[in-house]
Parts: sequence; C-alpha cells; structure tokens
Amino acid sequence: MVGVVALVVLLATYLTWTATRVDRLHARAASAARSLDAHLLRRAAAAAVLAEERLVTELYSAARIALDAGADEREAAENDLTRQLRAVPLPAAEPAADAVVAASRRLALARQVHTDVVRDTLSARGRPLVRMLRLGRRHEQPAYFEIDDPTLAVTATPVPTPAQD
Amino acid sequence: MRIGIVSPYSFDVPGGVQNHVLDLAEALIGLGHSVSVLAPADDDARLPPYVVPAGRAMQIPYNGSVARIAFGPISSARVRRWLARGEFDVLHVHEPLTLSLSMLAVLSSDGPVVATFHTAMPRSRLLDTFESFRRITLERITSRIAVSALARKVQVEHLDGGAVEIPNGVSVARFASAEPLPGWPGEGGAIGFLGRFTEARKGFPVLRDAFVALAGVRPGLRLLVAGPGDPDDVMEGVPPALRERVVFIGKVSEEDKARMLRSVDVYVAPNTGGESFGMILTEAMAAGTTVVASDIDAFRRVLDGGRAGRLVPVGDAKALARALGALLDDPAGRAALSACGREAVARYDWPVVAREVLEVYATAIEATDGRVVDVEWAPPRTG
Repeated sequence: MVGVVALVVLLATYLTWTATRVDRLHARAASAARSLDAHLLRRAAAAAVLAEERLVTELYSAARIALDAGADEREAAENDLTRQLRAVPLPAAEPAADAVVAASRRLALARQVHTDVVRDTLSARGRPLVRMLRLGRRHEQPAYFEIDDPTLAVTATPVPTPAQD
Repeated sequence: MRIGIVSPYSFDVPGGVQNHVLDLAEALIGLGHSVSVLAPADDDARLPPYVVPAGRAMQIPYNGSVARIAFGPISSARVRRWLARGEFDVLHVHEPLTLSLSMLAVLSSDGPVVATFHTAMPRSRLLDTFESFRRITLERITSRIAVSALARKVQVEHLDGGAVEIPNGVSVARFASAEPLPGWPGEGGAIGFLGRFTEARKGFPVLRDAFVALAGVRPGLRLLVAGPGDPDDVMEGVPPALRERVVFIGKVSEEDKARMLRSVDVYVAPNTGGESFGMILTEAMAAGTTVVASDIDAFRRVLDGGRAGRLVPVGDAKALARALGALLDDPAGRAALSACGREAVARYDWPVVAREVLEVYATAIEATDGRVVDVEWAPPRTG
C-alpha cells in the first residue's frame, strides 16, 4: 500500500515537472520570438536610415518591404534586405553604416537564441509522454525563422562614393 | 548590469578557463558593471574581492585525469544562496556540461543564462550515460558562446545547437608593459618557446632542430624555453657545446609568461596540429614579439593569414631555420611584423571581447524577459 502511494506521488511529481518544463519552454520560445521581431524591425529601420542618407532606392524599398511584410513573406523579405545590405559598402566610420552593422550583429544573436529555444521546444513536444498527455496543446507550436546569416562585414577602408548598382 | 559568473574549476590550480573567468570579470568591472564570480574555494582562501567561495573542491578521477570540482548538496545550497542574494540580470556559466558548480547553477536558475564552451570536447562519459541530464542543462541555457571555431563546430555537430564564436581575450596592456627578464634578449638574438614540449603536437623537436642548425653559425643566439617538464627532455638531441645556450625556466606564472615573451626577438609556435585557437600567439603579439608559427588553420586565422606573423610549413625544421635566420637578420622586418601583430591583437583585447560578451548578455536578457531567479529543481528520471 505504502509502495503504491509512493509510486503515485513519484509519478505525479514527474508529470507536474514535465508539464512545467513544457510550459516554460513555450514561454521562452514566445519571448525569444518577440525579441527576434524587435531586432528585425531595428535592422530594417537602420537600413532605411542608411538608404535615405545615401539615396539608394533599392535598399530603401527592401527595408520598407521588410518592415511591412506579412508573416508568410517575411523570411524572403528579410533575406532580400540582407542581400541589398551586402551590396553596399559599410565603413565603420559612418554612423548610419555602423548602426546597420551593429543591428545586424544583434539580429544574428537574437536569431540564434530563437533557433535554439524553438528546437528545444519542438523536441520536448515530440517526446512520447508529452504527446500522449497532449501537454503542448495549450500552446501554439513554435516555428523556426529560416533566414540567411544576417551578419555583415565592415568595409575596411572608407569608400569615398557609395557604389550603386 | 548585475552579472553572476560561475567558474567550474578552482583558482588555486591555474588553467585556461580560470584565467578567462578572472580576466573577463575584471574587464566587465572595468566597463562599469557589477560582477560576482562563484568558484570552488575554501572560505579562507585568498581571492579577489569579487570572487565568492563555494566550498572546497573535491579531487575525483574524471575522464582519465583528476578533476577538482565542487558538486553535491552543500555546493548546491551555496549556489542557490549566491543566486538568491545576487539578484543578477544575467548568469554566465563556463563549461556547464561538466559536473560542476556551473551545471548546478544552470539547473538552479531560471532566466537569462549564457554559457561559454571552452574545450573542443566538452562531453563527459558520465553525462553521455544520462542523456536527459545533458538535455535539461542545455535547455535552460539561453545563449551559447564558443571560444573557437573548433569548439563551435562541436556545438553544432554534437550538441545540436548553434553558438556565437567569441574568441579568448588577452590583456594587451599587461603583456605590452612587462619587463624583459634580466639579460634578455641579448646581443646575439633570442628565440622563445612556451608549452608542453614533451607533447608531440606542440612540435618542440622541430624548433630544437632548427635552433641547432642556426646556433652552429650564429654564436650569440639563445633559445628560451618555458613549460612544465623535465630539463633533460629539453636538451635531448642538443649537442653539448650548445646546451648552455638553451635556457629552460620551467613552468611560469602569468606574470613571468608576459616577461618571458618580452625577452625574446622571435616567438616560435611549431605546433603540428590540434590547436583550436592559439592563445599564446595573441599573447606574444600583445607583448610586441615577432611571431613565427606553423601554417595550421587556427594560427593562420589568428595571424591574419600571415600578415601579423610569419607562417612556416608544418613540421619542416629546415624551412623554420630559414625563416628564423632571415628574421633575425632583419630588425626592420621584425618591427613591421610585430606592428601588424599589435594591430591584429587589438581585436582580442579584453575590453573589446567583453563588449561582444555584453551584447550576448543583452540578447539573452531581451529573449527571456526577466532576471535570474533561483528555483527548486528535481532531478529528472530517465524514461
């Protein structure tokens, strides 16, 4: 009898612990997604400022499209912005260019954090016990944000006139 | 920012991770942050003011060597007390996959946790047996840092996760201002080597052969060797007539390491492989010493493709002797290389590296919205 009670208590503890773990992972995935969103907006805004200063139309429109993109076209829009940014010189001495490089670096970090927590969450959702008891049902399934590495290289020597294609 | 850093290893045994933790803590304090470091140590141990002792480390046989770690209920209680009192904005643990204070801290906290992986192989056999234990630890880490490309590769391939690569820092000012050892480098030129010369991958015999070839025709040339080991092993294969020109100073303190590097005209890293970063090269560059190193991936990267130091073919004593001879005869060339070296090493200066680490902290804090709190944790059951 004592053994049965102990077993039930142990099982209950384990279930509570697993449920808490699943909840915590989902909460973390959600807040990592919010932070990623904020950094995407910051980068696009910094790119728009740079484009306005330099009068680079392609970059400006890429930044606008990235800012306005809906969920289903956002990854493509962000990748396009990365490509446009790779095409312009970014000397560290120019404040607007430096802001873009810094925003891209922070975006790369935020994306890494998001990818890690999404992977952990999906792996937790896929565990047999979690699936059987549908512990993840109260949460929306998190999704990866698939974009190219947004890290940008600083242009070593200041370029006098921005190259435009 | 209030930062809590955990060192898995005790500071009374010097080591790469320990130096990294102390240097990082000092750089962060220098940038105006409030830092507390938790490390295994006796309560009466002499420690820097920002280090909190977590109790004596036990010596246990571990992965084929003896590790001094703190792990158990007493350590666990100390970790929780430190976390509760610290009110940290971010927790930064080092080598969290060893059974250590680092792992205890990760398991006892909730909130932004940053982890730095130093070695290229952070897995322990014990943890492999408890796969779920490892996963639970990794799950609580918000952001991972790897100190080298190799350590990052391990993260990606074996621990299925990404990591930001932030290199080891070097205290440039400390190395640049060190006083050379009395009587060094001397008139006839001096070459230096530091490391475990008995380990094959360090390539010391290559340098020894090159030195013997050069010393025969250069009467004043001396070789300064530092590192743990037996003097007889250093002299092995050196003709008796040349032995007084090979000076062995044994294992050196951090302070003497800087002085040793300042004492030679050329520092040689004849490694045959297996290096993941090349910390000693950044230190030699910081000391303003010309560097000659084997052309291996890690060294090529640190030396900026050969711009900040001369790269020589791996394991080729003749080529090394030629390169050294040319540099010893060319003070202007040496000065040019060491000037490039100083420029290249600025990227590894601790304040610069610490700012990169701070960006990771900021990202981790934003991504978890909340500060570090200590939590009760139940050990997971397998199944």
